[in-house]
This record gives sequence, C-alpha cells and structure tokens, in this order.
Amino acid sequence: MIDQPSTPELLEAMAATLAETVVPACEGAPQHAARVVANLCRILARECADDGAATAATTEDLQRLLGSPAPLEELVVALDQLLMQGAASTTLDDAAVRSVLMANVERRLDLSKPGYRE
Amino acid sequence: MTDTADRCAAGLAEVLAEAGHGEPQVSIAGVASAGATRRTLFLEVLLGEQTIPAVAQISSASTLLGASTTVEDEAELVRIAEAAGVPVAQVLGASNHNDLVGGPVVITRRVDGVTIPRHVLRSLQGDAAAGERLTMQCGTALALLHAVDHTVVPASVPVLDPAGPAPAYVQQLSDTLDGLGTSHPALRYGIRWLGENVPSSPETPALLHGDFRNGNLIVSPAGLGAVLDWELAHIGDPMEDLAYLCMRHWRFGSELEAGGFGRIDTLRDAYVAAGGTWRDDAFSWWLTARTTWWGIGLAFQADNFSNGITTSIVHAASGRRVVELEYDLLTLIGSQS
Repeated sequence: MIDQPSTPELLEAMAATLAETVVPACEGAPQHAARVVANLCRILARECADDGAATAATTEDLQRLLGSPAPLEELVVALDQLLMQGAASTTLDDAAVRSVLMANVERRLDLSKPGYRE
Repeated sequence: MTDTADRCAAGLAEVLAEAGHGEPQVSIAGVASAGATRRTLFLEVLLGEQTIPAVAQISSASTLLGASTTVEDEAELVRIAEAAGVPVAQVLGASNHNDLVGGPVVITRRVDGVTIPRHVLRSLQGDAAAGERLTMQCGTALALLHAVDHTVVPASVPVLDPAGPAPAYVQQLSDTLDGLGTSHPALRYGIRWLGENVPSSPETPALLHGDFRNGNLIVSPAGLGAVLDWELAHIGDPMEDLAYLCMRHWRFGSELEAGGFGRIDTLRDAYVAAGGTWRDDAFSWWLTARTTWWGIGLAFQADNFSNGITTSIVHAASGRRVVELEYDLLTLIGSQS
C-alpha cells in the first residue's frame, strides 16, 4: 500500500548518513562531492514536502501578470522574451515584474537554502 | 605510483625541462581538492640537489565561463603581475598541450597558506586586525595590477570595448544567457536593468584579474601570500575586480563585504593609497553585473550537466544555487532603484 519511510524521510536519512558517516571518512574531491550530494538530498526532501506548492504559486503570479492561463513553462518563456525587448517596448509594469520575480526567488530559496534571506 | 601518475609526472618534468630547468625529476606528493575546472597536484621537484615544493594545475576540457586565454599566456600574465609587485605563485613552467599530462598545465612554486574560503575565514576569526590587513593587501595588489601597462599583455587576453566596457559586458551577458537551453527571467531582468543604468567609464582601461575573490587567494598568518587562477584575466574597467571581491556569494556567510574578511572602506582606502581611482557608481554597477554573470555561470554549469557535457555532481548542484544569485541581484537592484 504505502511504503515507509516516506520520500522526504529517506532523503533526510541519506543526507545524514553522507554528512555524518561518509564525509568524515574521506578527503579531498570525494569528500566535497559527498557534502554536495548530502546538501542535494536535503533540498530534494524539502521539494518533496512542498509538493508543488511553490510552483503553483508562481504559476498563479505569472498568469495574473501576463494575463494568460498558459502553463508555467510557457509563461516563463513569455516573460523572458518580454524582458528581452526592453522596458520601453513592453506594457509590463516594472514594479509588478520585480515583485513577481522576487516572490518566485524567495519561494525557491526557502527550498534550496533556507535562512539565506535572513 | 600508478602508470597514469608516472606518465603525468614524466610529462610535468618535460614541461619544466622545456622551461629551462635542466633535467628535473618530478614526484606527485598529493592531489588537492579538485576544482570545478582544474585539477591541482602537489609536487616535489628535484633540481640537482635542490627539492622545490611545487603545484601543477591541469585544466579540464570543461573550462570556466568566459575563459579564453591559453595557459602559456596566463603564465606570462602572472610573470607580468609579479614584476608589478602583485603577490603571485612564481611560474616554473607552462604548456598548452602535453600528451603525458593530459591537458593544459601551469606549474608554480608552492606558497604556504590556506586557499579554501572557509579555512581563510576561520584563520582570521577573532582577529579583526588580520582581516583588515588582508583587505588592505588586496586593495594594494589590485591597484598595482591595474597600473600595469595593458598594451604589453599577450594578444589572446580578451579586451572589453575600451570606449564602453559596461555596455560591452551587458551584450556579453545577454549573448551567454541566450545560449542556455532554459529561460531565466530574473537574470534577464538583471541584464535589462544593467543596460538601462550603465555607469561612468574608466579614464583608461586596465589589466584585470577577472576572478579576484576569496578562494583564489593564498592566505598565511602574514596575510596575502599569492593571487591564483588568472584564467579569466582581461582588459576592462578596474572597478570590476574590486566589486567582484565584494559579492555576497564570495563572503561565505560573513557580514564583512570585502571577501568576507574586511570592510569596503578599507579596500577603497588601500586601493586609492596605492594609486588607484575609485568610482562609486561603477562599483555598485559592477557588483550587480558580476552577480548576474555568476548567476549565468552557475546556470551554464547546470546546463552542461543536463546536456551531457559533464557528469560532475558539483555542476549539477549549481542549478540549485542560481536562485541565490538571483536573490542577490534583485536585492542589489532594489537598493539602487
């Protein structure tokens, strides 16, 4: 039915094993790689626990900003292309754009590096 | 030693012999932590009866974003910087190609001290005076470098348009971002802002290190021992080097703006005292521009992983670090708007 531990729990356990067992047992490039993988496991654990909430919020923000019901991938490309055209040639409000960008960045940061904003 | 290590040591001896060091014997004493683009080996070089501790840096196929100078020209730049009074690791030999070594290589004397940023910051912990001294030494070293007659540098050293290095840089950033397989609107927003807010141009362009930051400095109890990794050297606006040292990304969690170990005021005063000209508007702009550049650089590394150009887990992980630079970038723009 439902396997235990959950995906976030397993990823946290993998991170702890790498950080507490593997990292102290090696040095140089392998040690650095183990640290990096441990950190990635923690990021993925938080992404699993978030369950798409951050992505959904950004999709809503972009749909409102661009007035389009398109999916996230298309909205990101559309915003990128509008920004390439420069401020003078778009009708986008600069403050609104920056606000949407910052909100997206803050949501992603909370998953990839909590505490960075403090 | 393995056959591979034996071949590498023989190749390194060839490079040293070609540089006029007689008939050296090279033994590989250890492998330092491998960087994203270079492998670093500790060497013992036996020259006659003298043993010289040395370091070999071997470049990989996957180079740093923006690197185009050959290692032989890079070695020449280090010699030029040394003659100008910049602390460097003295070059013993360099080769753009050696079959036995397996890649372009630069061999230098070993300089005592630490280079890993967190080790550097730990070595200065609780000693504010040592951090300030290191900051002053950085300001002085950059002023000496920027005073070099840039017309004597090797022709392969890239030149940012002297008439307007900032607009030229914006175009480079835009072109690089265009070349990525994914869209990054926050970085695009940064490029747009940079294009709309170009600063004053320097009176004269200068030879820049291009990657002057905590991590590319050897630091000992006496302070700055050597400036390493000259592969991104180019001709441009001197404020670029000063701003880059002060990026949040290179502070490694410290609140001190200059490299994580000193204050901007200290850096500026030392730079000016050693003959440099400081421009506030250009400093702020280049801080934003270099933050954008490194955000694109990390996205570039992740792109290389996704496209199968590299299997490095470090490059794969870079994709989750782009957002840190995007945050810094939007914060910097917010503070200047």
